Amino acid sequence: MKKLVFVALLIIAGFNCFGQDVTQTFNSTRIINSHSTEILRKKMWEYRIEHRFGDIAGANGGGQTAFGFDQAADIRMAMEYGITDKLMAGLGRCKGIGRPYRSLCDLFLAGRFLTQNKEKRVPVSAALVQTLYYTYMKQVEDLQSVAYFDNKLSRRVAYSTQLVLTRKFSDRLSLALMPTYIHRNYVSLSDLNDLFSVGFAVNLKVRKSMGIILEYFANVESENFRSDALNSLGVGFEFVTNGHNFHINLTNARGFGELQYVALTQENWLKGQFRLGFSISRNFKIKKS
Amino acid sequence: MPIKNVGKKIVQPYCIKIRLCKFGCQYNNESFKMNKFLLALCVIFIVVLYSFNSGESEWRKVSNSDAENVTLENVRLALGAEKSSFYMESFDPEKAKIGLELILKGKTKRGLFKSKAISSYFVCTDCHNIGREFKNSSDQNPSRRLDFAEENNLPFLPASTFWGIYNRTSFYNDDYIKKYGDIIKDAKQSLPGSIQVCAKYCSSGRYLKSWELEAIMHYFKANELKSKDLSLTNNQKDAISRIQLLDENEKADLLASINSAFTHGYSAHFAETMPRDDRKYGAGGDVVTGKFIYDKACLHCHLDGRVTFLKLDSDKLSAQMFLKYKSTYDDLSVYQIIRQGTYAMPGRNQYMPRFTKDKMSDQQIEDLMAYLTQLAEK
Repeated sequence: MKKLVFVALLIIAGFNCFGQDVTQTFNSTRIINSHSTEILRKKMWEYRIEHRFGDIAGANGGGQTAFGFDQAADIRMAMEYGITDKLMAGLGRCKGIGRPYRSLCDLFLAGRFLTQNKEKRVPVSAALVQTLYYTYMKQVEDLQSVAYFDNKLSRRVAYSTQLVLTRKFSDRLSLALMPTYIHRNYVSLSDLNDLFSVGFAVNLKVRKSMGIILEYFANVESENFRSDALNSLGVGFEFVTNGHNFHINLTNARGFGELQYVALTQENWLKGQFRLGFSISRNFKIKKS
Repeated sequence: MPIKNVGKKIVQPYCIKIRLCKFGCQYNNESFKMNKFLLALCVIFIVVLYSFNSGESEWRKVSNSDAENVTLENVRLALGAEKSSFYMESFDPEKAKIGLELILKGKTKRGLFKSKAISSYFVCTDCHNIGREFKNSSDQNPSRRLDFAEENNLPFLPASTFWGIYNRTSFYNDDYIKKYGDIIKDAKQSLPGSIQVCAKYCSSGRYLKSWELEAIMHYFKANELKSKDLSLTNNQKDAISRIQLLDENEKADLLASINSAFTHGYSAHFAETMPRDDRKYGAGGDVVTGKFIYDKACLHCHLDGRVTFLKLDSDKLSAQMFLKYKSTYDDLSVYQIIRQGTYAMPGRNQYMPRFTKDKMSDQQIEDLMAYLTQLAEK
């Protein structure tokens, strides 16, 4: 087994060393909610502002809430950094959707270990993303609530591991597959500590700087638990400029981070419970001199 | 006293005798012939000795092939040219090595630590080649530069090559004054000064420390032009090999011909963006040349955003993006961006330098457009 792993690592290293790598499979480090295989270049910083409004329609939407503009389902601000050309880290803070988490911080490390290469016949790019979540919200007094942390730090922590596989089929079309595992240290009785979900995404570039994205996460879980949980589905429009990346999207997921959009989505598109969202990222380098 | 009888002719042997006495020899009449022989030997010895010590002596004995490896600076100095303000007697290979590392990477290892990067955004080779760019060392024609780049698979860059920069006497020439103003006042005739301007302003970085500047200067000195690098006639090469035997007129003629055989300063004429009515949008352009320019000029920096935020690839979408703006004066019009470049600004210091008329011709822009048109229609 060890030999097999060693050989696999050698092959991966070999694939990464030679030939012309396929670039720009996705335009940014995110698809809609999920990570992509794009990694910030070494020493490049990225500041991200992401926003999800309230429901466009349904009981909580419509004209009374200006189709969701009156509400902010979640807001995330993050600073991310390219450690090497294939490894990046980020620290973000979300408002949190409040069900159960608010004041949610995330710290992630993303590394691309395989890059699609035409000459070397590497069919896909692959990245691994490991995220740590921590909520510093004030704990509630209700002993039945998940937000009753009993002053234990471990109850405030969750983790996610995401493998992102992408392939650029043509200049215009890219696909992604995102098997995702989430572990929460503390959940309610009707919930599961460990969750597994498989994401799927399509990126269709209309022009060099514009693209349409579709992203869907199918949760793999027992029917006996998490009866309220729904799968996350998002459609996005992407616009890239020199150093900026804009996303405008419609999604039923309220929150950011795998912990929220995979595990805690309960909104139904068919009931109008989808929302407008956007993300803006700005790349820059810090001048040291 | 024997000196009265022998007259002047024996004064020198007598003197030699005195000298020889210092070495323990004794003078007498029988050894007089021997002393003549010793005198001749000493004269030869002294001549040989001085020929080794003289800075100009290398010319007496060099063969034609050796003369080709003599540095251009030494040739010019031997012909009576003045030393440049940044003249260096010799170079230190270790410092030159550090200089090369600074040029390629922008930093080097010093002791246990890496030195601070000269620029967070650029390294020298993003804009400058370090090798030869022309077959003829006095050439500046952009078409022939491209031909040479294609033959040797070189990047086709907006700035002048470092090859032979030590032998240049003029920097930031012509229209660069329009862009940099007084910043280049002290750099125009000074190689160290122009290196500092480039490090601070052109690369959005910082001024070099003295050891960094010295190392880069040593690298440039190590790669100065040699006689063989110049496109000289056989007669000129022959004249160089017997340079000390030339009279003043011959030296002046040779110096003039050598001065015209290399580039003292690269021309830099800014061009206006081509007016819409003059643009051919690639019609009649050479697609193969255009592809080379795209690969070796555009993608040199833009491939996957290596240097800049604008990511380009050899794909249809990149080409379509340029074609969309081809008739505009927008930054995404190749007619505009090649001629005007962009300027560094906070948050976007990775600006694009312009290609002067001397570095890329209008026809080459049309060749590029021809390739982009073909790529967009793929």
